[in-house]
Amino acid sequence: MKLLKSVESLRMSVRSIGANKIRSFLTALGVMIGVGAVIALVALGNGAQVSVQQSLESLGSNLLIVYSGQPRGSSLVRRNTSNIVPALTDEDVAMVAGLGPDLVSRVAPESTSTSQVKFENYNTVATVSGTTDAYPHIRNFHPIYGAFVSPADVDARRTVAVIGAQIYRDLFPAGGDPLGARVRIDGVSFTIIGVMEEKGSSAQDTSLFIPITTFQRHITGGTKYQSLNIQATSTDVMAQLEFSIEQELLRLHKLPSMEVADFYIANQLDLIGTVEGVAGTFTLLLGSIAAISLLVGGIGIMNIMLVSVTERTREIGVRMALGAKSRDVLAQFLTEAVILSIGGGLLGVAIGVGVSWAAVRFAGMASVVSLDSVFIAFGFAVVTGLFFGGYPAYRASRLNPIDALRYE
Amino acid sequence: MIELIEVTRHYRMGESTVKALDGVSLAIGDGEYVSVVGPSGSGKSTLMNLIGCLDSPTAGRYALGGEDVAKLGRDRLADVRNRRIGFVFQSFNLLPRVTALENVELPLVYAGIPGRRRRQIAREVLERVGLSDRAHHVPNELSGGQRQRVAIARALAGRPSVLLADEPTGALDSKTGVEIMALFRELNRDGMTLIVVTHDADVARQADRVIQVRDGRVLSDLPAGEWVA
Ligand SMILES: Nc1ncnc2c1ncn2[C@@H]1O[C@H](COP(=O)(O)OP(=O)(O)OP(=O)(O)O)[C@@H](O)[C@H]1O
Ligand SMILES: [Mg+2]
Repeated sequence: MKLLKSVESLRMSVRSIGANKIRSFLTALGVMIGVGAVIALVALGNGAQVSVQQSLESLGSNLLIVYSGQPRGSSLVRRNTSNIVPALTDEDVAMVAGLGPDLVSRVAPESTSTSQVKFENYNTVATVSGTTDAYPHIRNFHPIYGAFVSPADVDARRTVAVIGAQIYRDLFPAGGDPLGARVRIDGVSFTIIGVMEEKGSSAQDTSLFIPITTFQRHITGGTKYQSLNIQATSTDVMAQLEFSIEQELLRLHKLPSMEVADFYIANQLDLIGTVEGVAGTFTLLLGSIAAISLLVGGIGIMNIMLVSVTERTREIGVRMALGAKSRDVLAQFLTEAVILSIGGGLLGVAIGVGVSWAAVRFAGMASVVSLDSVFIAFGFAVVTGLFFGGYPAYRASRLNPIDALRYE
Repeated sequence: MIELIEVTRHYRMGESTVKALDGVSLAIGDGEYVSVVGPSGSGKSTLMNLIGCLDSPTAGRYALGGEDVAKLGRDRLADVRNRRIGFVFQSFNLLPRVTALENVELPLVYAGIPGRRRRQIAREVLERVGLSDRAHHVPNELSGGQRQRVAIARALAGRPSVLLADEPTGALDSKTGVEIMALFRELNRDGMTLIVVTHDADVARQADRVIQVRDGRVLSDLPAGEWVA
């Protein structure tokens, strides 16, 4: 009997939705856009998060960088370091290496400068980086052609260079094999021994690597380094490693505290955490905007349902006169609202998934549809239907039969 | 058994009150066939609405089958309307968007009778009022008289013990009118209580008893034989 009545109210609702197709569609449209927006925007937000994370991970894994200079917020992203006074010594490098294979897997000292690079008639600006053979492994940035700076190159202070993908394009616009070609950097002639893989980030693709020893002799002079790239053995030991390095460096540099230190340490984990936090906020913001549109969709349902109830006051009166109870009327109108919101919700899911697919396919954006957002948006749509359909349905169910019958 | 004791129904219209019913006392036994006559605006429809549990009195007592209707909740009243009362409205009150058959099925829907059985009953009742061939038409596609017969069929579908008919022959030609009156007679013979509002003295005389109302009061309450229009 209960079931029978539900089947009956379902049938009646479908019929009354069908009787007013355009209006029903417009009602569902509000929910559709709301649900679609939630899914698509959250997907784009997630996509942004994932792609930022990926590009951070591509900087290397378990990476710590010790920079010379006063701490100015942590950053793994290469900044203009040319004017920084190198403060890190061979003793520091030995200390880090000496922290043991349990903590440190690799260390690569580095100094950089922005310089003109010339080849035949072509010239470009590169971030010239003096470092050692450990660098590619630490930064997860490898030569795609030829070889990287070798230990022998460092020992012999050879004038060899490994060029970034963009530098290659700038200096060899016609293509061709660059190995063995001689380029001039700050007036010194270098032989190209390799080309780095393309990273898609201009900072990395415009870099040019030479042996650190060569860098110190020809570019800056002195024996100190601007930074140390350090790879921890695992994510778990990074905090401990950072702490040890900090303590040891303070001791070696004879400094009382980090406030007056001539170095600072950037930790990849911290950065990923920060970026994740920002991206999370971003996703939340997009989600909230979308949720508001879902709310507006819900109010649309309420509006239409109120109109529908008013329009059908006489019908409600007739039904009540013939024995419909309050709950029968309530069920009829609620079912109608829920069908509209489920229908709108389903179409909204399709639209949301479609839009985020199109964003990937045609706009090249990163987009990750999360199942959570699909369920939440859809569930919210149904709840919206129940809630905003509930009030008009309740009003209908409380009508007095005779008043409803007399309604014109 | 329908029992009204000093029932009044007042409508407040701003400052003034309209006394649609003004102290009506009546008793109508089970299986009686009663006509209610009176000039327009005398309170006939108001009386029917009260008896049909659609409206409640401003003052006075109304008992249906010994039960004080004022004490019943909304849902119980809905049940009473559904199971015990068949109502033919003066203005038909058919649902405009559904077919004659589905209109007739309505009380059965709320009685919880399954679809197949419901349609069968509805067809039989439509047949009785001579409308089988119009079962699948919506009210818009029916004549006034046909609509009236759908309304009658709908009132009968739930096999009520009391049939309240407000001007049931108003829109019928004399031949169909006579057929409907014969149907009423037959239903009454089977034990149904009938209360019929009419303007037509001939129709009124078909009943066993005629109640004449004027200005919300019972003017006379006589056996049909003794009543003169
Ligand atoms: N909802 C209402 N509000 C105010 N006055 C009303 C209302 N319903 C009925 N009345 C008044 O009550 C009186 C009785 O109305 P009722 O409909 O019962 O008359 P009736 O005898 O059925 O008339 P008719 O033969 O024309 O159908 C009338 O004066 C009418 O104006
Ligand atoms: Mg009337």
